[in-house]
Amino acid sequence: MKENLHELEVPKKYHIKKTDKETLAKWFYLMTVGRAIDEKAPNYLKQAIGWSYHAPYAGHDGIQLAIGQVFDKETDHLFPYYRDMLTNLSAGMTSEELILNGISKATDVTSGGRHMSNHFGKPEWNIHNVSSCTGNHTLHAVGVGRAMRYYKHKGVSISSQGESSVSEGYVYEAINGASNEQLPVIFVLQDNGYGISVPKRDQTANRKVANNFTGFKNLRIIHCNGKDVFDSMNAMAEAKAWSIENQMPVIVQANCVRIHSHSNSDRHELYRNDYELNYVSEYDPLGKFRRMLLRYNRFTEDELDELTNKALQEVKDVHKKALKAPDPDPESIFDFVLPEPYVSENYPDGTHNEDGDKKKLIEALNGTLKEEFRRNPDTFIWGQDMANKDKGGIFNVSKGMQQEFGIERVFNGPIAEDYITGTANGMSRFKEDIRIVVEGAEFADYFWPAMEQFVEMTHEYWRTNGKFSPNVTIRLASGGYIGGGLYHSQTIEGALSTFPGIRIVYPSFADDAAGLLRTSIRSKGPTLFLEPKALYNSPIAATPIPEEFEVPFGRARVRKEGSDLTVITYGNTTHMCLNAANKLEEEGYSVEVIDLRSLIPLDKETILESVKKTNKAIVVHEDKVFAGFGGEIAATITSEAFEYLDGPVQRVGSTFTPVGFNRILEKAILPNDDKVYDAMAKLLKY
Amino acid sequence: MKKIGLFYSFHTQKTAKVAEKIQKAFDEKGIEAINVEEVDEKTFLKYDNLILGVPTWFDGELPNYWDEFVPAIEEMDLKGKKVAIYGLGDQVNYPENFCDGIGILGKLMEQQGAELVGFVSADDYNFESSRSVRGDKFAGLALDQENQARKTNKRIEDWVADLKKSFS
Repeated sequence: MKENLHELEVPKKYHIKKTDKETLAKWFYLMTVGRAIDEKAPNYLKQAIGWSYHAPYAGHDGIQLAIGQVFDKETDHLFPYYRDMLTNLSAGMTSEELILNGISKATDVTSGGRHMSNHFGKPEWNIHNVSSCTGNHTLHAVGVGRAMRYYKHKGVSISSQGESSVSEGYVYEAINGASNEQLPVIFVLQDNGYGISVPKRDQTANRKVANNFTGFKNLRIIHCNGKDVFDSMNAMAEAKAWSIENQMPVIVQANCVRIHSHSNSDRHELYRNDYELNYVSEYDPLGKFRRMLLRYNRFTEDELDELTNKALQEVKDVHKKALKAPDPDPESIFDFVLPEPYVSENYPDGTHNEDGDKKKLIEALNGTLKEEFRRNPDTFIWGQDMANKDKGGIFNVSKGMQQEFGIERVFNGPIAEDYITGTANGMSRFKEDIRIVVEGAEFADYFWPAMEQFVEMTHEYWRTNGKFSPNVTIRLASGGYIGGGLYHSQTIEGALSTFPGIRIVYPSFADDAAGLLRTSIRSKGPTLFLEPKALYNSPIAATPIPEEFEVPFGRARVRKEGSDLTVITYGNTTHMCLNAANKLEEEGYSVEVIDLRSLIPLDKETILESVKKTNKAIVVHEDKVFAGFGGEIAATITSEAFEYLDGPVQRVGSTFTPVGFNRILEKAILPNDDKVYDAMAKLLKY
Repeated sequence: MKKIGLFYSFHTQKTAKVAEKIQKAFDEKGIEAINVEEVDEKTFLKYDNLILGVPTWFDGELPNYWDEFVPAIEEMDLKGKKVAIYGLGDQVNYPENFCDGIGILGKLMEQQGAELVGFVSADDYNFESSRSVRGDKFAGLALDQENQARKTNKRIEDWVADLKKSFS
């Protein structure tokens, strides 16, 4: 019978009587510097200098020292949360770097003043800059763990959070995934009993939330006293050694106290009585450590005082230096929204004159994926229904890939869209050459659970001041016209285009699908790749595709030239616009059809040039007219080419309703050839 | 019977109150109370019969004054010593770690060679788990002033009667 992993003994490697004096001095010094900054932080706010968000760590000292001490920047990745000041100091960040972050200076190594204060990190050391959406970095840590396992790297990915945020569903997804994939990840749960003011009994039935996971396989759970330096050091050292050796995850739940309020916007005296506030102070880990050092004659009072004075002097000195550091430049706000994309030398405008055999859109996607996977061995793809024997993807876009590239690079994800997306963000941190393609969901309609990771994906590059960008292509089978009803017809670009920090492309033809997918995979940064699934096998979207075709981002394609009316469209409706334009041509009208291909970045130049020529514009897309992406295009035309217009900019799209299942309803809701034709004809006659 | 050393924190409320009752139940001359917050190795080793008072803190931890004394105990030879432990816990609010402190200290005492005495039946309690349980007994006297205060006096009397037989 297998041993119970949760009952394994933790070796007492560190001990008040055995640990060498130099190490003890280092720990005491770090803890004293950390506590001095923790106590000083509110003063910056009082003096209106900064640090308006400060989550004091006092009471978590033991476990935070331990996390930082076991972290090795050469081999490990660390995802600290917003209370992890001492964790970061102990991991190697300097006291000056902590203060520069606290007061949001341009030289803050975490984010150059962009991210909220008290969110410490040093991306170049793999101490990651994480979200305020606490606990969602567990998915990133799992992604890194997956890379460590794949590349046979000897290291560990450490995620740290409070016990209350374990209530988030994505934390369960992360721990489930690490357990199922057997990854070297340590989930540290710093348990101070509160989520802001909410006591932990309101979060889950177990007082020790780690015990909710005792039924998970391939997972070890270690409990420790986070207020005790030695217990915490032993727990973390064992967790790291065991996780690497066994290639399995560990949860370390550290019991802490929160000596102060949650943050400077919280007043804990409103919900904690004097008795409690008194005893949490008595259990101050720094006080305990000092008492132990003296009791067991490891240090004299004078020696500890000397270390304390040195630490306080350091904080004074770096405080002065940090105040003189430059503030961020307001002109810099547009820096690092997105990294520079792959530049196509062979197809700079993304067009071609190939006239060979036509390929279907689905063949274009499948072929391009395979070509890129052959070209770059650090490419990976996963999603739901990705591969099982002869099936490859819900629509067979990835057919044959697992057979050719193996289950380590082409594999199924669980039915957990946030996990699929979040671990992609995480895995791409391991190595710059890694390129990940995910099917974000079976259908775009099911992508919504991944929204928080989508938002995260869009923030990374800007928030890290250009230090990290997830190199991920998120593919989504999108749109209707298949009789799919409310949950198999959605096209969600209208909602997703409101987030800066991600490219959005939406091809209508096979060649553009191939070219845009290649560019997405080769580029740095995230790209949302929306596929009109009704066109996968449609002959109208089939085209010849030149070898290694590439389509740059932000380059629209004029699919039909004209002089009387400009139609701006993308995806399924491109074909409707072309049909309507052809019909109108027979009636003597000349309609120019622009297939945007990229929504972000948007090819404003092509749009405006065309409108200046035709003087009339209509925007057509499948998504809802109300609050759809077309509104942005219409507004751009109106504000930048108003003098050239001979009529109001018109829009055609879905009604502001869900998409009904009965084909009669679907037809009434979605745009079609007739609706597009009617709108064009009306505007032409305006 | 040799003199008994009764070790507990003098700054506690409930643990100290129980200590007073224990003292009374014994012949008071034969038992000496020592504040564990100030204890040293020499004082601890002076006694062959020891009673230790330990409340359980947080989710199953020793209070600091005991925890900080553990490294000293780890180097003691306690062969020939009889140790009885009482502890206070809360079965309703902390049912997963009821009187863990008894179990933690008890294990340590045994590791150092002491003989644990004064086991009490775990019937008549209602909790989920405890590090102090050995089979169907606690490795000492478990008390719950929050939820079973009325049973405390009787439990102490029975325990002391048992200890009078067990102590050398």
